[in-house]
Amino acid sequence: MTTARAAPLRPDTAVDVAAVGDRGRRFRRGIGYTFLIGYALLMFVPFTWTVITSFKTQPDSVRMTFIPDPATLQGWERAFTELNPSLPQLFLNSAIIAGVVTVTNVLLGSMAGYAFARLRFPGREPLFLLVLGTLMIPDQLRMVPIYQLIRFLGLSAGDLQYGGVILVLAISATSVFLLRQYFQTIPRDLEEAAKIDGAGFFTTFWRVMLPLATPALGAVAILQFQGAWNGFFWPLVIMSERDNWPLPLGLTQFRFEFFTQWPPLMAVVTLATLPILLLYLFFQRYFVEGIAASGVKG
Amino acid sequence: MAAAGPARRLTRWTSAYGGRREILAGYGLIAIPLLLFLVLNIGSIVFALVISVFEWQFRGGAQEAIGLENYQRLLSDQTFQKAIYNVATYALWVVPLQMALGLLLAVIVNAKIRGQTFFRAAFYFPAIASSAAITVLFIFIMQPQGLFNGIRASLPIDPLAALGFAPGHNWLGTATTALGSIMALNIWTTSGTMMLFYLASLQTISREVYEAARIDGANTWQTFWRITFPLLRPAHFFVATVSVIGALQLFDQAYIGGGSNGDPNFSLMSIVLYLYNAAFRQFNLDYAAAVGIVLFLIIFVATLIQRQLFGRTPSWQ
Repeated sequence: MTTARAAPLRPDTAVDVAAVGDRGRRFRRGIGYTFLIGYALLMFVPFTWTVITSFKTQPDSVRMTFIPDPATLQGWERAFTELNPSLPQLFLNSAIIAGVVTVTNVLLGSMAGYAFARLRFPGREPLFLLVLGTLMIPDQLRMVPIYQLIRFLGLSAGDLQYGGVILVLAISATSVFLLRQYFQTIPRDLEEAAKIDGAGFFTTFWRVMLPLATPALGAVAILQFQGAWNGFFWPLVIMSERDNWPLPLGLTQFRFEFFTQWPPLMAVVTLATLPILLLYLFFQRYFVEGIAASGVKG
Repeated sequence: MAAAGPARRLTRWTSAYGGRREILAGYGLIAIPLLLFLVLNIGSIVFALVISVFEWQFRGGAQEAIGLENYQRLLSDQTFQKAIYNVATYALWVVPLQMALGLLLAVIVNAKIRGQTFFRAAFYFPAIASSAAITVLFIFIMQPQGLFNGIRASLPIDPLAALGFAPGHNWLGTATTALGSIMALNIWTTSGTMMLFYLASLQTISREVYEAARIDGANTWQTFWRITFPLLRPAHFFVATVSVIGALQLFDQAYIGGGSNGDPNFSLMSIVLYLYNAAFRQFNLDYAAAVGIVLFLIIFVATLIQRQLFGRTPSWQ
């Protein structure tokens, strides 16, 4: 009885743009899907074109054909042999920077995030606002002072330049913010239980809270890895040694050196994007949730 | 959250803070992150201010105080004015278009449609690539014999030809269309991110509101403009802020597209490109620091204006 009466009041109420008002519904759906599919094509076609072009010859690369004629690995070969620093070296450099930056952000971010979410100490709120406030400071304002600081610390030459870039990217306010938000949603009972079992604050943090925060740690890791892997500005400012360059810097240089040698250029573009693409395919949820959570929700 | 209530009540009549060990643990955990934030961010602003009022050398550091000389020179510099003009033009186009497109995509993807997950993933897709990769790709597509002109040629009617653009138009190589092309590039790559911001906010609007509107006989159009749009106010503020800040900081695409001069003919010269040149081409660190301070002020004022416009504090406060 009750369910039958309640049913009309509680239909599937997902926000349905097309279903509100029945007239012209199918027509509107048609337009909607055409737009969606067209827009989705706009997202994929350029990348597909890139991959196709990397297997073309130079004269073929400006022809509007979808099948390389003849298909060749020349572009890839040139990308692997003619670059300085070599493609594997660039790849390694990007991996080092992105790997370390991911670890420091997860570690430092969860430490600060947990303290700001749960531990009651004087100055907690103002200090948290101060951390958030740093999001307002443009990187470019920090460029000259940080460059001077890095010179002062001796991180501006040789392999130590990795250290310079990593230092600047080691912790971002977004990481702290995301993890604090997540820690706040974990029920307190678990901490209370740990406390009763005699665990100190660090043990509770490390053994109880961190494992519970895995989804947020994942989102932060993905977000920071992507940011550091794709990062252009700080390596450009700090890495005067060509051998230390990550992929985006190398790519930019080849764009100026290769000029219009499209197949090798497109091979580098493909390879530079591939790791993030794989991450995106496997961990799409983390990308979407990380981005969304860094924006809204208070 | 349920457990937070009693716990908080309890602390109020003992102490607002935890015991000695809890306080120490708190400071211990934030020590390293906070030190980095203080030195690299807060410290940087102060340091930049100091550098900007001295004659500052790469190796020697401070030479002599020059007061506001850098700022005066900056405001009368023609290239800087060109950079401001470019970035303002860029922001005026990119921000509204990005917001509108992001909102449109979010509303559609939030509706009951087939392949919802797929479309959501697809629209965010261009944002995963690095600015370097995507800009090089874009240059390839927009070159005179590129895919873009190729598609134009295959269309029965080419609206761009009607506007006077030759079939083999060099989009990035022509001063009048270079900035517009970079605008298109960034709208393309970041509208997916804006969509995700809007989507998160859309999902917080309760279904009852829509149900009530439906019962009152509101149609789709009215529901959107009278309910959804005003309720998204915090999201508008956030998206607008992120978008404006991003626009004012235009650099990677301009540098990769037009080199350090923002070629052709300074059409891609941006504030940050100008700053970068001052520091690393002319080795004029104090002048570059002054440009950084001015950029910060512009961003700060823009954010304040938007706050007035949307009448809300940022969503995280």
